Amino acid sequence: MPVRSDDDIARTRAFWASSKPSDAIAPAFVPDPPTWWHVGVALLAALVLQSTFAPALAFRGATVSFVTLLVVWYGLRTGWAYGLLFGTIAGSCDDALAGSTGVAWTFATALCGAIAGCAARTQLAETRWTLVGGVAALTLLRYGAFAIGMQMQNRPLALPETHLHAALWQSVLHAVVAVVVLRFGPEIGGRFAYRR
Amino acid sequence: MIVAALIALVQLDAAKSGKPSIIAVAVASTAYAFQTAAAAVSAAARNTGAAVVSTPRLFSENAALREKLQTLRGENARLNEALSRAPEARAIARAEAAAPGGVTATTIGYDPEDVSRQITLDRGSRDGIAAGDGVTNADGVVGRVTAVTPLESTVLLVTDGASKVPAVVQRGRWWGIATGTNGSIRLEYVSQDAKLRVGDVVVTGSGRSFRAGLPLGTIARVDHPEGSLYQSALVAPAVSFGRIARVVVAPRALRDAPSVEP
Repeated sequence: MPVRSDDDIARTRAFWASSKPSDAIAPAFVPDPPTWWHVGVALLAALVLQSTFAPALAFRGATVSFVTLLVVWYGLRTGWAYGLLFGTIAGSCDDALAGSTGVAWTFATALCGAIAGCAARTQLAETRWTLVGGVAALTLLRYGAFAIGMQMQNRPLALPETHLHAALWQSVLHAVVAVVVLRFGPEIGGRFAYRR
Repeated sequence: MIVAALIALVQLDAAKSGKPSIIAVAVASTAYAFQTAAAAVSAAARNTGAAVVSTPRLFSENAALREKLQTLRGENARLNEALSRAPEARAIARAEAAAPGGVTATTIGYDPEDVSRQITLDRGSRDGIAAGDGVTNADGVVGRVTAVTPLESTVLLVTDGASKVPAVVQRGRWWGIATGTNGSIRLEYVSQDAKLRVGDVVVTGSGRSFRAGLPLGTIARVDHPEGSLYQSALVAPAVSFGRIARVVVAPRALRDAPSVEP
């Protein structure tokens, strides 16, 4: 992550704060990206939590994927390249723990991180409701990309209607989590530099 | 003289009537009070003295008893733990007896994204486990090993949609394929002339991963689709998949052994 001077950061913050939500103007860079080791620890915690308690966390056949939420958040806070890189790492960890998914999660999560990163310096990343919708859409996209990845490896998902049901419920759960984080985020550490 | 004469008369009168005189009652009552008080004081003094004398011994006895209590508490905790583990140990012993030479393993994780019904075991290829090995516990069939690393292995549960196991209805020896429904098991491709009943026991047929005769579950509902060549049935799994702690992985040699299934 390139190191920015304090002046650069202050200038970008002022520029961004002065623009309106309808302006299609993006800042030159994200002023306060998360540090890599914070994200690494969060990814580790998410993986341990999910692989240990996944069935207990299930709701109507769907489980909150903290890995997905983390990748989307990191992509939004950094950019497409870092989103892609982090998505690839997180997805490969998912594949390693799942055992028989090949590279499907790697492919799907990398795509998810890259697309989230594309919105990093746009107005899409600013407004709460577009963020919530974006998280839900990215969840569906990731699940869909995973299904395509499995199909490409000649391991098609059995019971596709069950998986569609789970994907829809997961996107709803993620949207709820996003609403909670965006509402209470500043108090629990999820600072959004551009939040108005 | 007059008082002495009165006392004597009262006593004589009481003696004649055979009852205790009023003087005797008064004296005895007064004496009782004093005697009781004196006895209490005496006993208290005796006890205090004894206590003072025996204080060092009591201290040492108390310390010894505390130590003994601590030991007994520890032993009690150990016995309680052993008692609580006994059913599980018996279950594992039964499963091991059903699959002699099997590798006992503990569940350490699940699919992180919960997309498939699978568990991760703490034993891998280093312990002789290979892909395709059947996994059971005391209640019946758990699943099949799908991926192995040196230290751990992934097991696809029989309830997963991708799982397919050859199965037999025990009562009539009717064959079918047990497929997962992501929650229970569906017995499919059973011939229409089979007389399936709710409560029939379904066991494994001879296959690549399991020897014949291992319990899969019991039929909970029978479906006869109109115009279909086959009938199907919903099977309640024999294994409680909500709490699989210890399982036995049947090694390759065991599953290649001659089967008793016709």
